[in-house]
Amino acid sequence: MSSLKLRNMTKTFGKTKVIHGIDLDVLEGEFVVFVGPSGCGKSTLLRMIAGLEDISGGELWIGGRQVNEVQAARRGVAMVFQSYALYPHLTVRQNMGFGLKVRKEKPDSIARKVDEAAMTLQLEKLLDRYPRELSGGQRQRVAIGRAIVGDPKVFLFDEPLSNLDAELRVHMRAEIASLHRRLENTMIYVTHDQIEAMTLADRIVVLRDGRIEQVGNPKELYAHPDNIFVAQFIGSPKMNICSADALAPELTRAGIPMEGVEQIGLRPEHLRIVPDGGLINGQVALSEYTGGGSLLHVEMEGAGRFLVLSEGQEGPQPGDEVQLDFDTANLHRFDAEGRSLQAAREPVPA
Amino acid sequence: MTGHIRTGTTATRAPWLTLRRREMFEGWLFVSPTVIGFLIFFLGPLIAVIIYSLSEWNLLSQQMTYIGTANYRDALIQNPDFWHVIRNSVIFAAGLVPLNMTLALALALALCRPGRGVVFFRTAFFAPVVTSAVAWAIVWKFLLQGEAGAVNQMLAVIGIDGPNWLREPDWAMAAVIVTRVLKMVGLNMILYIAALQSIPRDYEDAARLEGAGNWQIFRMVTWPLLAPSTLIIMVITTIGSFKVFDHIYLMTGGGPENGTLVLAFYIYEQAFEFFNVGYASALAMIMFAIVLVLALVQIMLRQKGSA
Repeated sequence: MSSLKLRNMTKTFGKTKVIHGIDLDVLEGEFVVFVGPSGCGKSTLLRMIAGLEDISGGELWIGGRQVNEVQAARRGVAMVFQSYALYPHLTVRQNMGFGLKVRKEKPDSIARKVDEAAMTLQLEKLLDRYPRELSGGQRQRVAIGRAIVGDPKVFLFDEPLSNLDAELRVHMRAEIASLHRRLENTMIYVTHDQIEAMTLADRIVVLRDGRIEQVGNPKELYAHPDNIFVAQFIGSPKMNICSADALAPELTRAGIPMEGVEQIGLRPEHLRIVPDGGLINGQVALSEYTGGGSLLHVEMEGAGRFLVLSEGQEGPQPGDEVQLDFDTANLHRFDAEGRSLQAAREPVPA
Repeated sequence: MTGHIRTGTTATRAPWLTLRRREMFEGWLFVSPTVIGFLIFFLGPLIAVIIYSLSEWNLLSQQMTYIGTANYRDALIQNPDFWHVIRNSVIFAAGLVPLNMTLALALALALCRPGRGVVFFRTAFFAPVVTSAVAWAIVWKFLLQGEAGAVNQMLAVIGIDGPNWLREPDWAMAAVIVTRVLKMVGLNMILYIAALQSIPRDYEDAARLEGAGNWQIFRMVTWPLLAPSTLIIMVITTIGSFKVFDHIYLMTGGGPENGTLVLAFYIYEQAFEFFNVGYASALAMIMFAIVLVLALVQIMLRQKGSA
């Protein structure tokens, strides 16, 4: 059953249209991640769902009810803000119980619900502290706790991990994933970090300039990007793209159909360095040691610079001539508009 | 031959103008205008006033006699005028501070967000702050005249027979308070706007998502977050109200029947109309003590609030 339906949703600020007709169905209990570069409209779309921004056009349905004109508090959603938005003058307990107090719930009911949420998030010992007395991770958990207490239909997360350091971000990512498994609520999560999107999402919605570029599960987006933007946005390091002309003779010789192909893409992890018989020749311009191996910047003859992931400690050094090979199944072909020319495919299981 | 051992190397002597000394010298050079100004225009007069306050000095006789704390005893114990003046000052502050702050906050809430006409209204409400006190007083004295005044003429339209605002003891204080508030409210409005704009929008959004209405957001989120600014604004406004002079001098001259005779004006009157410089200096020291206590209270409350 669909928990959330967006139909041709648009948003206009003055004369500037920032969201261009978004259509999306989010299933009950699904974890959907909106991902895209800064300014793509993902946070605006989230705020429109929350009711913090007016909807300029289209329809928004939550739990089978159209909510375009419904106040934020009555939509059954809770939001975790990037800044956490914890009230600095209130204790953790008061922050978590704020919404219930506003809704005039009885004090014993508030206390019970706050205690339950605190137990879920292991916040029991922090309930009497003020936000300034908490670490970044603890504040994040309190913000999530405040959302849980109201028992919403849909959780909205607006880049909740972007203020944390790298180590804590990995830890909190795991906590959010485990929270989703326990609560089984619908969650919509906004991030510009594609690793976060790949690790958390049941489905990823890739946005660019207020439009959906592609919707799919992480594996599907990685294996079968619809266009060059998605191909380069999903995956790290990003996919190498070059003009098809540069490698057309070699690829045609290898039996790859090149009709209508304008650009080709190869992921750094799909390129292999071989002693001889490689499809492409190049020279190592830079080698970045990454621990398990090296990220090589290889200058290709007529094809620009490619990134290549080389495993092992003894990789090629700058200046070395290398030959590269790849499995033709991993080659991505794009037309003049940057659209993928992959053959019709079966959906990739999540 | 003595037992000195020569090492063969010459010890290099550190230059007198070390980096530390040079930075210290430059530092003093930079702050010297302020320090000199402080010494000449604040500390010097303060010491002089302390000395005068312990003396009997009539400007006309040019004779200064040391009389100890007699001026203070005169003010605090023997002279009933002093307590009448203090009472007036307290009434002035008690009327002005809440009225000014409430109005300033209301205006700030209305004008803190961008919108049509916001810049015009902000400018309009702030303009009186930079308007000449003399011009302001002349206009208001004209508006508050008895029967001919514009205020009373407007009241007459709705059937109210207005008093002679600046000539009746019961109304004069109210009139000077209101006209002072209207002149100075723009300053506190700007301070409140700055404070409101420094509150992250996320707090309001979070509260709204949790079901809070405008009044609940103000009462439970905005007002507590404004507390540090409110404290500063309150102390500044209170100190300012105790020091008010020009407004009283221009509007009522302390009258009618000493009904608006406040401390700063009383000091002026004693020093420059009755030439009791010693007594006026003692009064000035008392006022200094009152303002100092208010400032210390503010510092203490701020430290307590941030602890």
